[in-house]
Amino acid sequence: MKKQKPAAKPAAPGKGVSKESKVKIRKLPTGVRGLDEILGGGIPEFSFNIIAGTPGCGKTTLAHQILFANATVKKPALYFTVLGEPALKMLRYQQQHSFFDEAKLGRAVRFVNLSDVLMEGDLSAVLDEVIRQVTAASPGIVVVDSFRNVVRQAIATPSEADMQWFIQSLAQFLTSWEATTFLVGEYVPEEMRDNPVFTVADGLFWLSQLTERNSVVRKLQIIKLRGQASVPGLHTFRINDDGLQAFSRTLGLGGKSMNPSRRRRRLSLGIPEMDKMLNGGLREGDSLLVAGPSGTGKSALATHFIAEGLRRGEAAIMALFEERPEGYADRAASLGLQFKTPQEQGKLELLYLRPLDLSVDEITQQILDAVKRVGAKRLAIDSLVGFEMALAPGFREDFRESLYRLIVALTGAGVTILTTVEVEDNFTALQFSHYAISFLTDDIIRLRYVEIDGQLRKVMVVIKMRGGNHSKDIREYIITDKGVVIILPRMKDYEGLTTGIPHRTGPRPAQADEAAPEPKAKK
Amino acid sequence: MRNFAGRLIRHEAREKKSARSQDPTVFQSCEKLRLHLTTIMGSPGFRTLLLRTLALATREVPWLRAVRVRADGSLEGLEELQAQHDRDTFLEGGVVLLAHLLGLLVAFIGGNLTVRMVREIWPKISLHDLKLEN
Repeated sequence: MKKQKPAAKPAAPGKGVSKESKVKIRKLPTGVRGLDEILGGGIPEFSFNIIAGTPGCGKTTLAHQILFANATVKKPALYFTVLGEPALKMLRYQQQHSFFDEAKLGRAVRFVNLSDVLMEGDLSAVLDEVIRQVTAASPGIVVVDSFRNVVRQAIATPSEADMQWFIQSLAQFLTSWEATTFLVGEYVPEEMRDNPVFTVADGLFWLSQLTERNSVVRKLQIIKLRGQASVPGLHTFRINDDGLQAFSRTLGLGGKSMNPSRRRRRLSLGIPEMDKMLNGGLREGDSLLVAGPSGTGKSALATHFIAEGLRRGEAAIMALFEERPEGYADRAASLGLQFKTPQEQGKLELLYLRPLDLSVDEITQQILDAVKRVGAKRLAIDSLVGFEMALAPGFREDFRESLYRLIVALTGAGVTILTTVEVEDNFTALQFSHYAISFLTDDIIRLRYVEIDGQLRKVMVVIKMRGGNHSKDIREYIITDKGVVIILPRMKDYEGLTTGIPHRTGPRPAQADEAAPEPKAKK
Repeated sequence: MRNFAGRLIRHEAREKKSARSQDPTVFQSCEKLRLHLTTIMGSPGFRTLLLRTLALATREVPWLRAVRVRADGSLEGLEELQAQHDRDTFLEGGVVLLAHLLGLLVAFIGGNLTVRMVREIWPKISLHDLKLEN
């Protein structure tokens, strides 16, 4: 007997639309570095969006960037302006940005002034003019700047019904004409609740600039974006010659991680005894914090770590906040470690990051760019104190959180990080870092001064090594004038080394007066 | 800038001849610029620009004071002035007026965008050897 073909299974209730039948929403590029990623891939095509914020926070520049990134002769962009936004001045200023392509003006990017029609004082006349222009040009992008002025100038006190009708009609028409729309307006957050434009909008881009003491920081939030998942939260952005540049809170590395099945190698720090203390070296993809007071050799250790990587063919980045690259390279040379050749070969970059008012995300982006540029496997950040000083005061509150994101993002991508931090020795306790960031790091090495036999000597100890055993020894070390770190055997004849003022418990060896064992490294 | 304005007016004169227009050529040039610029700036914006142009031009050509600017940014009164002055004097006044208008555009939006705009309005005009400084 012939088997009957089973009937097609009905769709399971609650399963929703099958993947194949879902409409695919094309995402338009914003032309703003970092913003597409924040938006979840770009601007949904045919969406009706608002770019809102206080005066001077970059709304018009953002609109222009989106405009020039998408406008073509076939699918032009229409930019409606009104009184209060003089077009000549706008052209004058916007052409200073690199995204401004004068070849697109006229055919691909068209400016239309609505002030004549606004004189009629009627929103329907404004709508008719927009419809007339859009019907004639069939644009891919439409911008109204400032939308708030359009409404204000058309009617001094528009009723809610007028506004609802106007916005609904405008949104419906522009979407039907397959235009992706941006209404630019000066709004304050309190208006979001009552203004119907915020209800109708598919996307809401909120720009702000916050002043704290003498510095200003710009932030961007995607409050709403229908149809796709954007990265939540406040993202910093900067306006420079290239226009806006946004810095995603996820740093664009959210999904990237090292292959978990890959065995993590042990990386040498370039100091054999220290590798032994670390049970064979630093694990690849670890973050090591070297904490100690000024002059204990944190930078020297960082230099050794990078130099050893270079010697093994691993490209590296040094993010410097306290010393200029030339000085750093010269000092490395005096320690017998050559940085100039790898720099010339593109294997090493010394990033000097000292301008004030930077955000952590900007610094992080610069580091990430450099890591990507040279294919770095090792990164040294020297030091966290300098890093914090380079930030605008408003960003210092976020320092810990941002640092966490930076470290997680980079180590997740397989970069091994050595970070230095200056801590004060108080001779009563062994502090690791005043940032309380120890939890961020996989491994901690503490350097400190101890008073022994009338000398201020240096000791080191491995405090923590996540996922592995390590030496528990407290060991004295010496940095010679050639930069060689000599680690002496475990100190067994003392107690209380971690306090900095140990007591001798062993026999006192006979010793002659001697010069300090550690002259300064030659310049 | 006068060279630029002179070229535009001569070019317009040739076109006018073929179109048998009765307007003074300088009217025609300003009118074409007005139609283009009011789309971008609106009539009030263009009118303000033209008022400034006239203020600058009358310093050099005092008889241009008789020219008025309508609300839509068009010029009024040039026909009467044309009747009062000989051809060369009138043409020179027109060149000065147009040169100042172009000069303001160059000052605001730069030479490149101004030339681009002129090319859109007068696609046949030759401006290859023209150098405009902002």
